[in-house]
Amino acid sequence: MNEYVGIAVSLVLAAGITGMLVLLGSTLGKKNPSAVKLSPFECGTDPFSRPTGRLVVKFYLTAILFILFDVELIFLYPWAVVYRTLGFVGLVEMGVFLGVLMVGFVYAWANGALDWK
Amino acid sequence: MNDMSRIVVSDLALIIPELILISAALALILLTPRIRRGPAAAVGTVFAALAAVLASFWILPSETQTGFAGMIIQDGYSRFFKVLIAAALALTALLSINSSEGAENEAPNGEYHALLLLASTGMMLAVSTVDLLTLYLGLELMTVCSYILVGIHVQRRTSNEAAVKYFLVASFASALLLYGISLTYGFAGGTGFVIVASALSEYGSDRNPLLLATLLLVLGGLAFKIAAVPFHSWAPDAYQGASAPVAAFLAAGSKAAGLGALGRITLVAYGPTVEVLSVLLAGLAALSIVVGSITLLAQTDMKRLLAYSSIAHAGFAVLGLIAGTPEGTSTTMTYAFFYVFMTLGAFGVVVALGERGATLDGYRGLAAQRPLAAALMLLFLLSLTGFPPTAGFVAKFVVILSAVQAGYTVLAVLAVAFSVVSAFVYMRVVVYMFMREPQEPAPSRWPATVSVALAVTALVTLIGGIVPASLMSWTVSP
Repeated sequence: MNEYVGIAVSLVLAAGITGMLVLLGSTLGKKNPSAVKLSPFECGTDPFSRPTGRLVVKFYLTAILFILFDVELIFLYPWAVVYRTLGFVGLVEMGVFLGVLMVGFVYAWANGALDWK
Repeated sequence: MNDMSRIVVSDLALIIPELILISAALALILLTPRIRRGPAAAVGTVFAALAAVLASFWILPSETQTGFAGMIIQDGYSRFFKVLIAAALALTALLSINSSEGAENEAPNGEYHALLLLASTGMMLAVSTVDLLTLYLGLELMTVCSYILVGIHVQRRTSNEAAVKYFLVASFASALLLYGISLTYGFAGGTGFVIVASALSEYGSDRNPLLLATLLLVLGGLAFKIAAVPFHSWAPDAYQGASAPVAAFLAAGSKAAGLGALGRITLVAYGPTVEVLSVLLAGLAALSIVVGSITLLAQTDMKRLLAYSSIAHAGFAVLGLIAGTPEGTSTTMTYAFFYVFMTLGAFGVVVALGERGATLDGYRGLAAQRPLAAALMLLFLLSLTGFPPTAGFVAKFVVILSAVQAGYTVLAVLAVAFSVVSAFVYMRVVVYMFMREPQEPAPSRWPATVSVALAVTALVTLIGGIVPASLMSWTVSP
């Protein structure tokens, strides 16, 4: 159990320091409120859209597609580092991996995820 | 390094059934625009599942073998469950060809079957691994595909609602399982089943709060997958909102996979803590049987009724694991096998009757209009009750006997008593079918593929009841 004491100590420290900073700021800090400062959304300027407004769902699709390529990249980097030691088998494995990912991409393309209409 | 990659390539032989299913799923995803209509996707899925069954029998090595750095194991246990999961997949695909449904109600064909295939791959992975993280990966692959399958009828509100509910509860349960795994890693220093077991036997099992928390979390996460009380609340809503074939797949396939994972994990990984584990499993079984059987009494929707029935059956299946012995685990395997076929059969009749099969009232006077469908439903309901000479009787008999041998006589008596309570509900359906006047026009004809699925499930339910020994040589515990 002793190994976990360190985690508990760091938790207490983190909570203590952040709590103290907030406390100090709210007690010692100079307060000079104005209407603009007190408006929380899009701070400092007049809001030009509602915070609960709607986003086009296509952004979501784009984000999903981005993840596809992101995952691909994350695995390509370490593979490239040890490429020589992995040799031909590594190349084939990476090809299979990219092929599987590309199936998802082809599916998204064929179903119109890339048409911004 | 070169050595390691060569080992991995030869290890591929251990996951040939999974590879077959994945290839089929990828092909279906690429072909989606061409197979939007018609039975092509379902036929492809059935063939892939049959190929996986054949590969499990003939290509997988017959002796026990591990691979992928000790993460995947091939033994009689994993072979048994792989065959069972592939059979559930094939039967679900057969049930999914429904000509009577309108075009607006139709699920996207290629995606639907690809998801079925990928979910089955996850199930197979979960039953053939000896590493907690790979187990988690397999179960997650299964569950993530299941969310989409439940909500695949995008235009249907109940389907959306069910998918969201299922997703919220299931992700919570996955977090529980993962937390349990991380605690296990904390004291074992590894996630392999053998490492965990040896750490546990050194650690001393009794009266350790950390160990108890770990067991509760892991069991909770897995109990969710088999829909055992108190982790069952998702099942009725998910089954009701999903289409009948998807509900059948969840009830049969994911329960079999969950039981397979639970069986191996309780016997191999957490085996040294058998005293604590038995009590927890007994509680799980008792709660599932009692709550499942009693709530069953109030159901009028057929999919909800079968959902609560599946909850009670989860309790019965867990009875075999309480003993913590290989013999006990093989009784659970027997239970899982017969349960899959009788549940798929009962759902098959629901699918065959179309709109009429959805509610209990739809079964009024069915025997006069469709005697064959009524007779098949009678067979499956008798089997779900546990009435001889059906497979359900054999299944219940072996698990209850195992519980008695483990010293849990009171629990066994409870199981038998609530079997009688649930019999009341199943027999109410029978009374509706055979002793009431029909109120609705006879249901339209169902596709021949549904007949095939019904014939297979009925045969297994009958043969399993008459020649119970036929399965004995297969149920090899890990």
